Amino acid sequence: MPEAPTELRVRIGGEAGFGIKAAGQTLARSFVDAGLETFDLTEYPSLIRGGHNNYLLRVSTEPVYSHVEPVDVLMCLNRETLDLHHAELVDGGAVIFDPADFDASDVPSRLRAVPVPLMEFAREAGGKIMRNTVALGAVLALVDFPLTTLTDSLRAQFAHKAPEIAENNAKAATQGYDTAKAACPDFPIRLAAVKDAPKRMLVDGNEALAMGALAAGIGFYAAYPMTPASSILHFMAAHEREYGVVVKHTEDEIAAMNMVVGAAFGGTRAMTASAGGGFALMVEAFGMAGASESAVVVGVLTRPGPATGLATWTEQSDLRYVIHAAQGEFPRVVMAPGDREDAFTLTWKAFNLADQLQTPVVILGDSYLSDNRQSIPPFDLSQVTIDRGKLVTEGDMADHPDALDADGRYLRYKLADDGVSLRVLPGVKGANQLGNSYEHDEYGFGAAGEPAEVRTAQNEKRMRKMDLARTLVPPPAYFGAPPEEAAIGLLFFGTTKGPAREAARMLEREGVKVALMQVVTVFPFPADEVAAFLGTVPKVLLVEGNFTGQLEGLVRQECLLPIENTLHRYDGRPFTPEQIVARVKEVL
Amino acid sequence: MPTVAELERAMKPTWCPGCGNFGMYRALKETIEELGLSAEEFAMVWGIGCHGNGADFYNVQGFHGLHGRALPVATGIAITRPDLKVIVEMGDGDGYGIGGNHFIHSVRRNIDMTAIFHNNQIYGLTTGQASPTSDQFMKTPSTPGGVVEEPVNPVGVSVAQGATFVARGFAGDIPHLKELYKRAILHEGFSVLDIYQPCVTWNKFNTFSWFRDRVYKIEDLPDYDPTDRTKAFDLSMSTFHELTCAPDECKIPIGVFFEEPDSFTYQDGLPQLDRPMWKHAEKPRNISATMAKYGG
Repeated sequence: MPEAPTELRVRIGGEAGFGIKAAGQTLARSFVDAGLETFDLTEYPSLIRGGHNNYLLRVSTEPVYSHVEPVDVLMCLNRETLDLHHAELVDGGAVIFDPADFDASDVPSRLRAVPVPLMEFAREAGGKIMRNTVALGAVLALVDFPLTTLTDSLRAQFAHKAPEIAENNAKAATQGYDTAKAACPDFPIRLAAVKDAPKRMLVDGNEALAMGALAAGIGFYAAYPMTPASSILHFMAAHEREYGVVVKHTEDEIAAMNMVVGAAFGGTRAMTASAGGGFALMVEAFGMAGASESAVVVGVLTRPGPATGLATWTEQSDLRYVIHAAQGEFPRVVMAPGDREDAFTLTWKAFNLADQLQTPVVILGDSYLSDNRQSIPPFDLSQVTIDRGKLVTEGDMADHPDALDADGRYLRYKLADDGVSLRVLPGVKGANQLGNSYEHDEYGFGAAGEPAEVRTAQNEKRMRKMDLARTLVPPPAYFGAPPEEAAIGLLFFGTTKGPAREAARMLEREGVKVALMQVVTVFPFPADEVAAFLGTVPKVLLVEGNFTGQLEGLVRQECLLPIENTLHRYDGRPFTPEQIVARVKEVL
Repeated sequence: MPTVAELERAMKPTWCPGCGNFGMYRALKETIEELGLSAEEFAMVWGIGCHGNGADFYNVQGFHGLHGRALPVATGIAITRPDLKVIVEMGDGDGYGIGGNHFIHSVRRNIDMTAIFHNNQIYGLTTGQASPTSDQFMKTPSTPGGVVEEPVNPVGVSVAQGATFVARGFAGDIPHLKELYKRAILHEGFSVLDIYQPCVTWNKFNTFSWFRDRVYKIEDLPDYDPTDRTKAFDLSMSTFHELTCAPDECKIPIGVFFEEPDSFTYQDGLPQLDRPMWKHAEKPRNISATMAKYGG
């Protein structure tokens, strides 16, 4: 007897505005609580009601890094879902549907038709709002998963409401479960709770990023809503009083970035985030953070552009833009998290880097990171450290004679070998200073920054911080086979990490050894490490979610090396592992 | 507590001889000295423009930001550092034009800080173009046929938008200006100070003598009640004048238009702002309670 598959891929589809994502996350929570691993993908158009929404959930007994293409169970909350998605189902896959929406004969014969009167049961249980709950019960029945995990999580979810709400939902789930069980007793996938499974969190990238900022001691978060960054603002605002954070929904992104610079001037760990469009409005003040040597953290969570683009979809086309944003030259660090653990870790590290370098640090993510949840081990808070660099928060300037001129006046921008001057906060006795968007002298005075030699000295001082940055930033990350043993290397940045890791796993099963290199810090670019990787693997495939080859251009520019094989995607959808596998096979 | 002499331990002013900024500079230095503010308890922020060059002329804790963006920088300081009073200086193009959005929203936020607008009704630093407060039909290099738009009414906008302290001053009357500065700095809430400050180089129309012929003090009005928002708005509308109006035809009120002493400030709405917010970064935050809600 072959072992039953240990993976389940469920897609739930329906009209926007009917809580599909919430229902999907409830299902995910039920599986994770039972010790399984999940990855979800929410796809939705930029519409308030109407339009097609769908939620894809991958469940496994092994850790999962991304979504995949095939689907085992399609939960149709309308007819359109069947039409759009039936082709994705594996042979023998199940279509759960409401017979009020369409007939079983509409379901292609290679599939299992599982009619469940979703709406009728929902009404019986107390209201059509419970239709999704009926559907979730039906999904669990197919894979023979204990319904109690769902009813327990529903009871927990509705614990603060009237008791009959939880009971009505439990009743709805049970009816869906029993009906699907009877209609399809022989579904080949069976999932069971995993005993003594390690603890798992279920978070999306924005939640992970926000938790990283909280752990790092953020005191100020300012932002203007823009998809996919808005939920960071919601998360921060929800926790502002619990943790002592001032959170400001500003009049625009210009205000957000300027406020963050003001907060940083006062010594507060401060952050803003937006999509590429919002960052466009921040750019002038982003440059001011560089000029005034302000320690700020900026999240840029990208989506397909240009302009409003595709508001709710994903792309990696803002890499060059973020690296080069703002007039003039100034030091910066740009780090691209590949998954939720990266988002947490790189964000808390971003605050340290900003303080150590006294310059802006960017977390470059995208919708694929922001919107989708993955089961992951709890963040290890014992790893979080705070390093505020050359910062003096209290006391008297008299205790810091090295930062004073002959008359005892503070030199905020005193020339330093590593480019980093002693940063003494306003409020410290004798720490009069002028933070400046103008070029300036060592005191910060703008008119005194005009002479050529002063400009040159201050410019070189700031740019020396890039040398320091290279010693501090996170190195590239490697996965899969060792480069010297691999048949091919995959080179990528950001969220391509997940599909690339899955692709490597699939290829490994077929006997193809794949080495993976994730460029974690994209600026300053790790030229030596990339060149070494390219020099070791027999072939390389560079995978990036844009049209023009922005990472490829950086490799050519920084390593003076050609890239022969690339894979691009710019249709608003994230890479799938299958797509990468197919391209690898072409290249080999 | 800095004296005028200590405040001047910076660079020498480079404004044009006779510039209205000198009067404002002197009034503010004397105000700081007379209020006995300590150097550590206040911070200043400037935008870009002739006023902004003043950033080099004060020996204080301060930040010289971008054109139009002084208010959000100042806000970032004010709502993370409750131990600092914040004084913001802006120009008319800077504060009412490019920064107009921040102006409106700062007013309605009622952030406890003082916003001083250097209003010379012209762009000085960029050589004489029309500003948002230039009088209608005024000819400038960017409006050779005359300004078409109505000027912005900063006092009226502030009063309408819920400001809790709105005053107008004149750089040619320093003792009066100092009184306005003192009341504005001591006011708990967002204080708007629109200061007519003649540009002697580019604005040949709204000169010192032009203003002297027209300004009068609001406190000299019989029965004026500065807590009556509607009356304050009406008075703000009397500011508008024809470009060629005679002195007795258009009088310009200066003084406090409106004041709401016990207002709810933005900071009052932030119970978590109980200390300088940098103190939250002294050690990593324990977020395990939040992680637990996500299963961790």
